[in-house]
Amino acid sequence: MKTFNKYIYFAATFALFAGCKPSFESPKKSEGTADFTRYISVGNSLTAGFADNGLYLEGQQNSYPSIIAKQMALVGGGTFTQPLFTEAQANGSTYLKLTGFNPNGTPITTTVTENNAVRGKVTIPGFGDVTLLTKYSGDLNNYGVPGIKLKQITYAPYGNLNPYFERLLPGNPPTNNTTYLDFVTAKDFTFFTDWLGYNDALGYATSGGAGDVLTDKTQFAQLYTLSISKLTEKGAKGAVATIPDVTSVPYFTTVTVGAILGAVQKANPQAQALYVNARATVDITNTTYAPRAATASDLIVLTFPTAKIGAMVTSPVGMVPYGLTPYAPIENQYVLDNNEVTIVKDYVTDYNKTIKAVAATKGLAVFDAYFYLNGVKANGLLIDGVSANSSYISGGIFSLDGVHLTPRGYAIVANQFIKAINSNYGSTIPAVNISNYRGVKFPN
Amino acid sequence: MKKTLLLLIWLSPGIIYAQGFMVNLNGQKQIGMGHTGTGLLQDGASVVFNPGAMAMLSENYLQAGISPLFFKSGFQGAGASGTAFVKEKVATPFNAYAVWGPKAARWKVGLGVYTPFGGLIDWGSNWQGKYVLESLDLKAIFFQPTVSYKLTDYLSIGAGFVYNHASVDLQRAIPVSGPDGNPGQARLTGGGRGYGWNAGIFIKPSSKFTIGLDYRSQVNTTIKKGDAFFSVANSLQANFPQPNTFMAGIPLPANASIGFGYTPDAKWTVAFDANFVGWHSYKSLAFDYASNTSTLQDTYSPRNYKDAFSLRGGAQYKTSRKVAVRLGGGYASTAVNDGYVTPEVPDANRYYLTAGLGYKLTNKLDLDFSFEYEHLFSRFQTNIESNLSGTFKSNVYIPGVSLSYHW
Repeated sequence: MKTFNKYIYFAATFALFAGCKPSFESPKKSEGTADFTRYISVGNSLTAGFADNGLYLEGQQNSYPSIIAKQMALVGGGTFTQPLFTEAQANGSTYLKLTGFNPNGTPITTTVTENNAVRGKVTIPGFGDVTLLTKYSGDLNNYGVPGIKLKQITYAPYGNLNPYFERLLPGNPPTNNTTYLDFVTAKDFTFFTDWLGYNDALGYATSGGAGDVLTDKTQFAQLYTLSISKLTEKGAKGAVATIPDVTSVPYFTTVTVGAILGAVQKANPQAQALYVNARATVDITNTTYAPRAATASDLIVLTFPTAKIGAMVTSPVGMVPYGLTPYAPIENQYVLDNNEVTIVKDYVTDYNKTIKAVAATKGLAVFDAYFYLNGVKANGLLIDGVSANSSYISGGIFSLDGVHLTPRGYAIVANQFIKAINSNYGSTIPAVNISNYRGVKFPN
Repeated sequence: MKKTLLLLIWLSPGIIYAQGFMVNLNGQKQIGMGHTGTGLLQDGASVVFNPGAMAMLSENYLQAGISPLFFKSGFQGAGASGTAFVKEKVATPFNAYAVWGPKAARWKVGLGVYTPFGGLIDWGSNWQGKYVLESLDLKAIFFQPTVSYKLTDYLSIGAGFVYNHASVDLQRAIPVSGPDGNPGQARLTGGGRGYGWNAGIFIKPSSKFTIGLDYRSQVNTTIKKGDAFFSVANSLQANFPQPNTFMAGIPLPANASIGFGYTPDAKWTVAFDANFVGWHSYKSLAFDYASNTSTLQDTYSPRNYKDAFSLRGGAQYKTSRKVAVRLGGGYASTAVNDGYVTPEVPDANRYYLTAGLGYKLTNKLDLDFSFEYEHLFSRFQTNIESNLSGTFKSNVYIPGVSLSYHW
């Protein structure tokens, strides 16, 4: 029995192994040739974390710059502070929420208005009413301002016109006169991301080419060059992103001519075509519009009230059904017709050439969002067992407004920025785990 | 000294234990010797190792053993997106055998109840691959009534019928969020059955050498009516009809083994086994739901496993009349092709080392301990179906104990 005990000890040493799980080498942590001590993010609504047609706390907390910053912190990056709404005013500017589905499967959205951060309204002469939001003061790293165009970054009165910019500034309208570019560069920083320029094309596109104008290509190039020069003048490094193809977002791809016509024909088999008020040529200086039958190349906006179709309206020839005759075509603001699509694509392509060229002269990292989102539209994505695509709601990437992203979409964007930064600067910022980020929230 | 060397030589060529979700824990004496046994006459575990050897056993056996299995697996996502480790859960493969025949008879009958396949893995509900798999508990219990007949003093044969009772419990997250932002949950549970056979030949060319051949057939196992639970936001529930059932089948692979035993003297036993597993049978994992919708389609996941082999060696040394020390080891090739590795079976080529200790409590009662350490080689994989990309690493620790009564 004595020898037997000896063997028991022998067995016990084996048993000690049983506590060991496999180990992984910690990935090496390096900022490469970049310095993430103070990272700032420059951009528009996408940068701010805008989602579901509003800026609200959860969206801000899932903004792509905040995700990038969290990952940067793992390789030595500094703190990153966002102009968050408070818990009490968590719903910020108000936003859309999915509250159900109609029997035909179309979604019902409702605006969440309680606990908002609206502090008042001011009338700016020559501009109109501006709804003001609760001011934010304090540290700031995320300078994303929803709605801002590149065109506006050197416009001094802009801080009185845009409530999202206004809330970051100390003064009250109409006294603000700090340009956006001066504001973001006032305090030193070591690294930046810049995703400006989208609104210079998007504003025109989402208004069906009716409510806004495209920023002139030359002006875009001048301002882009100026802004990047200013951002890099003290040696900061950074990453920029190209402008997505505006037609790659569900805002333009969900409500289609074919779908509307199909629904009309169910009730009225004689209906032959939808009619739209369309631009006559692709010449930007020729603003002639004329009614014609719609084709699949005409894009209807997501917000088009489809109930208008077929409703009897007055016209030069008497009462006619809306949208179904040349006498009462679908109005311009609801349609990005094929000529307008061509124009927008031409501008976006040109803007992106500028972005890439300027980035190249400064050695900046580039996330080609145009290329990436077109790829997502064409092929979808499959990440860790999650399929994602550019479809409205079910795709999981785009939020309820059809332009801005869900937390999952922003996390995917963050990883693309991280990839571009790592590859350009030799840093080893870890990718973020996409599984932790949600798509659209479905109601009970 | 010479004998020590011999022991070391047997250790160095790797041996094998398992591939895929095969679990070769069929007897404590055999585990201690690196899972060899096809060509040996150790005890009642011959029922599974080689039914042909049963009739050659000099005694009758009634025995049972258990091998708590600690599977420690980890995952590191590509791009350093984080690491995950499976939760501490203990699977309990067991084995029980009865072998009986009159002393002078040329035949013996036996029954084996053992667990040759299974998996227990729980990655939790908050890891990178949760939409691929959260947890899997797969059990297969084989019941095998067996007969064996000694044709001559040199040759015996045996065969058994296999009934498999299987159960599965699989959970994964569904990537659609409810109003609270949390994902949905899917859970598939059910029981199934399958049938097969096990046959072997045992040859004893001399008093020192023994040879065994064994073939266990493929066991097609079907779960006809498992329960499919889907918990999602109410507005989506119609897409995931409830209640719902599923049908799924898995062809548990055939095994062919050849084993050699060498007993130079009363103290030493040395064994070598080579084993071939027909994993090519596992082409896909398909779930056929009773109620389908455009969202909930039947699924077909390619697995395309490949045949695998293992080489095993082991030795036993009786230090006294009562105590036997065993050592062994092996190497097993993976059954899973690149691109098909999933978190449910993070398989890779592996080696293992085993040790065992036998103690005769009385002349008729054996107490056997076994311990096994298994190391799966680190494997970087991007799954073709989920794009889950990262490195899997696994170690397995398996202590075990059995009690055998023989007369």
